[in-house]
Amino acid sequence: MSTPSLTGLVQPVQSPAEISAAAAELRQAIATDPLSPSDVMTIFESWAKELDARELDEIPGIVFLRMWLRRGTLEPIIARELGAGALSGGWTESGRARLRAFPLGVVGHWPAANVEIQPILSMTCALLGGNAALVRVPRGLVDLTHALMERLTQSDPSERLTRRIFMASFDHNRRDLHEAMAKSVDGAMIWGGQDAVLEVRSLPFPHWTRIATFGPRMSVAALDATAWSNPDDQKTWCLRLARDVWQFDQQACSSPQIVFLERDPQQSAASFMTHLQQAFENENRAHPRRTIASALTSAICQARAAWLLKDSSHAAVFPLGPDWTLLFGSGSELPQPVQGKTLFVLEVDNLHEAISKLDGNVQTLGLGMADAEKENKLAMLAGQRGIDRIVKLGRMHTFVPPWDGVDLIRPMVRMVRHVSSAE
Amino acid sequence: MQQIDDKIDLALSVAPYSQPPEEKQASLLGLMKDELESACQRHAGYGNYVQGWPVDFRSATRVADLPYLPVGLLKADPPISFVAAEEIKKTLTSSATTSQSPSRVVLDSPTSRRMTRGVVNIVRDFIGTSRRPYLVVDTLDSMRGGNNALGARGAAIQGLNPFASQTVCVLNLNEHGDLVLDKTKLLEFANAHQGVEILVYGFTFILWNHLVKPLLADNICLNLSNVRILHSGGWKRLQDQAVEKSTFNEQLARVFGCSPECVVDFYGMVESVGVIFPDCPEGNKHAPAFGDVIVRDPLTLEPVAAGEQGIVQVCSVLPTSFPGNLLLTEDVAHVLAYDGCPCGRRGISFRFAGRVPKAELRGCGNLDVKRSVSN
Repeated sequence: MSTPSLTGLVQPVQSPAEISAAAAELRQAIATDPLSPSDVMTIFESWAKELDARELDEIPGIVFLRMWLRRGTLEPIIARELGAGALSGGWTESGRARLRAFPLGVVGHWPAANVEIQPILSMTCALLGGNAALVRVPRGLVDLTHALMERLTQSDPSERLTRRIFMASFDHNRRDLHEAMAKSVDGAMIWGGQDAVLEVRSLPFPHWTRIATFGPRMSVAALDATAWSNPDDQKTWCLRLARDVWQFDQQACSSPQIVFLERDPQQSAASFMTHLQQAFENENRAHPRRTIASALTSAICQARAAWLLKDSSHAAVFPLGPDWTLLFGSGSELPQPVQGKTLFVLEVDNLHEAISKLDGNVQTLGLGMADAEKENKLAMLAGQRGIDRIVKLGRMHTFVPPWDGVDLIRPMVRMVRHVSSAE
Repeated sequence: MQQIDDKIDLALSVAPYSQPPEEKQASLLGLMKDELESACQRHAGYGNYVQGWPVDFRSATRVADLPYLPVGLLKADPPISFVAAEEIKKTLTSSATTSQSPSRVVLDSPTSRRMTRGVVNIVRDFIGTSRRPYLVVDTLDSMRGGNNALGARGAAIQGLNPFASQTVCVLNLNEHGDLVLDKTKLLEFANAHQGVEILVYGFTFILWNHLVKPLLADNICLNLSNVRILHSGGWKRLQDQAVEKSTFNEQLARVFGCSPECVVDFYGMVESVGVIFPDCPEGNKHAPAFGDVIVRDPLTLEPVAAGEQGIVQVCSVLPTSFPGNLLLTEDVAHVLAYDGCPCGRRGISFRFAGRVPKAELRGCGNLDVKRSVSN
């Protein structure tokens, strides 16, 4: 058996023993060199600078990743989740006690293959808590993850961080390797579709393993009549919507699949649709698709035809290619998401009626509302209907905890409470 | 409508593989525009689809720009029909091996007649015009269908009837509903037609499982050297047995006592019945004068260049009772050339290269289960 080296780079793994050995080394690294969140952020800062390279610009989500790794982004998150004292590895006063975050140990990551930077994002959450990370990189993401991790090795010459990262690549069907990973971890962050999530959760984790699951969700958007019908703002809202659709090729949980427009009795949505079409065309020019699976092309063609055939009142705008699709109709029934930059635009008499039909499968509600009071009521209703994130349109993918209703760093630490014996 | 009928008749009167591609393109384009115009007037939903198409079909300059329908839409129940219920003479259903719900297409009398003429035009280019004893490797019930409904197997069997002087079906269903070869009947047929030109048809997997395998097991050779064996239906159901096309042809030839060149694989789909694609002697497929094939790049949906592969669209001027003129299939093909096959047939030459994988939502979005919400 070859002993894996903890270089932070993605390595092919063949046997369960390699994973167990890597986990043992990771455990050793945490024990011998504790890192505070501030130490981690220092390395992240210089990693973010290394990622500012033209050859990486094509990686979807890279701009966001650079932002995420900045101290200015992370400090408030850590302070909120772990307490102000946590930044420097200290204690935070909490009434008559004090609290301090300690790492769980080795955290296993099972990212989904639909968001390119997800293996990295998931890993950073565990590292900020002082943990080591054992990451299974999906086959399709190996090359780009490797490229991103190379930049981390350049930013971390002392290997303080890379020594606590093991990125493994192995076939999805290798149950023995998944099991070896599960048996080796104290925490697990699991992302993906229903089948993938259930499969990973069924692995033989030790009884103490803390598991955070980020399962399949979809997202929707909504605009009130005053917002979308205002000629001064229409273009901007459409631009934001297009950007939210384009990121991650509309395959992320936070990608809008449907937008509800509150009907304006005074005007039709035609001019909004024209602006939306222009925004999609512009976004497509700026970020054209490089490849596509034949199955997705078929699904897009099928969705276009099915929508228009179903009801003569339905309308659609799309180019001859599968680049993007706008399907326009009315009513609050949720159509089956298609992805592939296929957006359903549904006019409704009342946004409340549409939101009240959502269920916990909807993760994010992207809003464009001119009426603040109406927005607050809608946010309350959305929360009650199981939606975990209510954000402004254009920011639907902003990766800020809580995500899926849970914190991102805190679930992977132990919050130790100390009440002084002198009290 | 009479004008469209006349134009279709004219297309059917042309030798199927003789037209230069440009000439064929021009005649297909004009006729298909007329058919689209007519279809839009007959079906509001289809009209809405055509109207939503990014190019106005009236001003299109090539068939590739006309609005095509994904074949999955023909799974609609009730089927999409351009004719009144009383005009429907027959409903064809696909074999639905890759999905739960079959396609359904409705045929009125003119469409049904044209479908038969289409098949005859194509097949006679491959096997000649004479009528001959016709051995059907299937059951009588499959061939006949019932209640004005006909499956894919029945449609294919019936499509070859114009070449038959006498028809014999050699499979039965046993009490478990399994297909069983009637060897006695088969051997009687073979003995009665030694040295005579005969025609055989069966679905690919049926020929293999219910004719070749039992005859090989009993070491029987039918000694029918003057035979043309046509088969269709695809190879999917033989995948688990890993039967190669060359092995299939050799073993089939062995049980008939003929040359493997007597075996002709053709591709046909219920949704575009009337237009079939037999293999030419070069192993390639061609489109007839009354139809075409466009292979589209999945990234752009533009026709691919020669040497490339993509998603297959089949075009046919024959149907006027259902939207089967321009169908985007779920098959993938490789284009060898847009003209100049050594076999002499004009126009596109291509080979099938499998199926488009089933579309699955990646990662998020695959949300079959409704989640309860607790407030």
